[in-house]
Amino acid sequence: MTRRISSLVQSGRWARVDPCAAARRRLPLVPARNRGRYHGCALRRATVALLFALIVLVSGSAPPSAAQAPQSSLRILSREGARALATISLNNQEYVALDDVATTFGLTLVEDRLAGGVTATAGARTIIITPDQPVVSVAGRLVSLTAAPVRQGNRWLLPLDFLQRALGPALDTRMELRRAARLLVVGDVRVPRVTARVDANAGGTTVTVDTTPATPARVTLEGGRVQVVFDADALDFSSPAMPPQDFLQALQQGDTPTSLRLVPGSKFGMHRATTTQPDASSSRLVIDMLPAGTESPAAPVPAPAVPAAPADPLPPSLPLPAAGVRTIVIDAGHGGDELGARGPGGTLEKDVTLAVARRLRTMIEVRLGLRVFLTRDDDRTISLDERSAYANSQKADVFISLHANAAIRPAMKGAEVYYLSIDRADAEARRMAESTGTVLPSLGGGTRSVDLILWEIAQARYLEQSSALAGMVEQSLRARVAMSPRPVQQAPFRVLVGANMPAVLVEIGYLSNAEQEQALGSGAYQDQVTQGLFDALVQFRARIERSQP
Amino acid sequence: MTPRRLLVALAIVIVAVGLGWAMMTALARILRNTETAPVAAPASQTTPDAVPAVPRIKATLFFASEDGRGLLTAEHEIPLAVGTVAQARALVEAQLAATPPAPLVSAIPAGTSLRGLYVSERNEAFVDLDGAVRDKHPGGSMNELLTVFAIVNAITTNLPDVQSVQLLIEGREVDTLAGHVDLRRPLRKNESLITP
Repeated sequence: MTRRISSLVQSGRWARVDPCAAARRRLPLVPARNRGRYHGCALRRATVALLFALIVLVSGSAPPSAAQAPQSSLRILSREGARALATISLNNQEYVALDDVATTFGLTLVEDRLAGGVTATAGARTIIITPDQPVVSVAGRLVSLTAAPVRQGNRWLLPLDFLQRALGPALDTRMELRRAARLLVVGDVRVPRVTARVDANAGGTTVTVDTTPATPARVTLEGGRVQVVFDADALDFSSPAMPPQDFLQALQQGDTPTSLRLVPGSKFGMHRATTTQPDASSSRLVIDMLPAGTESPAAPVPAPAVPAAPADPLPPSLPLPAAGVRTIVIDAGHGGDELGARGPGGTLEKDVTLAVARRLRTMIEVRLGLRVFLTRDDDRTISLDERSAYANSQKADVFISLHANAAIRPAMKGAEVYYLSIDRADAEARRMAESTGTVLPSLGGGTRSVDLILWEIAQARYLEQSSALAGMVEQSLRARVAMSPRPVQQAPFRVLVGANMPAVLVEIGYLSNAEQEQALGSGAYQDQVTQGLFDALVQFRARIERSQP
Repeated sequence: MTPRRLLVALAIVIVAVGLGWAMMTALARILRNTETAPVAAPASQTTPDAVPAVPRIKATLFFASEDGRGLLTAEHEIPLAVGTVAQARALVEAQLAATPPAPLVSAIPAGTSLRGLYVSERNEAFVDLDGAVRDKHPGGSMNELLTVFAIVNAITTNLPDVQSVQLLIEGREVDTLAGHVDLRRPLRKNESLITP
């Protein structure tokens, strides 16, 4: 180990850092364990700490503890309206003070000093809280919490999930804690989760608004602004980060708590809205912000409003999701720290793949109404295992991994499609996996047969379909972009191995070729690739449907 | 013994020693010439620093083709070693360091070195490379395929006893080299990448 580290230091990958100098320069990277080794530095720190303590003593007040200071609050939404409940952060755990909870929800608190606990009474039910135990008793039933209650002076602090797990049952009221939105939904108020995504294309901007649970919505044009009004009591919505664009300047909360506002950009002329229902639990509204005079066979008139239709949210013109292909997962290759290939002009593979993945998602959602998920929708590092695991967890029917290639020779160019190659040993394992199910003992006696799939060879069962899909992708892409002389190949690509569905990896061009690098970064080329992939998916869906009885 | 006889005996001994030395020197020269003669010409082309005393064999190494779309083979002289492991090590070292005949190019990042090589009882070779192979890799699935299978194909082609090859980096198993090719298991020879 010593030899390794020293070799790293010599090679320049690690540099020696003087912690005192680093502290002076405010470098945050000095490991804590190293700081103590430098006695001079420790001495200086101790002197500063002593001076600080002296100042505090002289001033006669205790230093404010950042850990105990109320950092934020929780928004409570109920039939009575909106209220705020202060929260306290302590040791990376968020708490609420029991006295605040009692005031907000009308609880009676009785402290049992002998036992060291406290009893909260809500109507006829009681909650018994004991310190240092991550369990409370609600009307005689034990409920576990993520952290033990903490006693600080006269105050009791309880972890946030106390509200949903203990207080809700005690009050016999539904309480839903939404940590990300910092919301506590109490009772039967309708607060759908609304997520919005903005995809900018050359000819307009598409805003996709997903609502869970499915909630009717109206789209209106008022005062030059597009408003989306939901049939709900409040919205659980946070504006997506987006730079102002030609067709859409901003997407924000509307005038009322149940509306969104789309502030048009300079080139906006008209909008077009369509409603779909990707699954039983959510609804989707797609709003196209378009230039003036855009013709559309589906919606020739710039309809100012799409009336909500709760009974039948699917417009008759939209095809129902296919029986064979309902969900598609698109994997934008690389991301975050993994840059992938880099073109001579600096174009990064991770950026190109994400751009095409987003375009393809929008096209499939809008034109086919299928569920589409991206393994990443931003610039983040994801392991190869996580990518195929995500596709499996979404029960995807097709997995497409997008990449851009690089070659030793700059002249090399063209798109390529890969599907998995497996060794002989894997093929034998595949036969074993297909031959029988696995029998497991079941609860209460007896056995049951389950279809266990070895993660390592999940893709082996779909090689034939993946091969067909690869062929279709190659044919569709060939009609639109240049293909490599070896357009379809097999390779042991890691991201395909664990995919439990037909899966291909598409290299959409060579970034190492200056001409192709420029094309790969352009919207026009990305549109052509997207259209080619889309056409192939339509063909593949038809094939799957034909093959099913 | 008279001084005259003593002189004659001394002269005979000197002549005998001189003849013996001349014969030994001539024999050594003859033997050396017969060993080095066959490899002298190719060694001067490909391995100028070769040690003449070590026997050498011809091996098939793999390089990226001119257009970068596949692998092409080229014959190289490598040292003859005793045993599969030693021979595989010599082979990989040659594959890493060899200068390919123009217009071929090496598919392995320059500066990559071999840390170790092992062969399991199941005839799987484990090739432990240093981090340069990953750190200096230009990326791209095609480049990655060529790098990996230049090594895998070199071993499995020249050493038929070895069925498959797993690449390790800095002594550890890795998922991939540059985000594409599955390196968690030994790989077999890839014929499809070899350009005819």
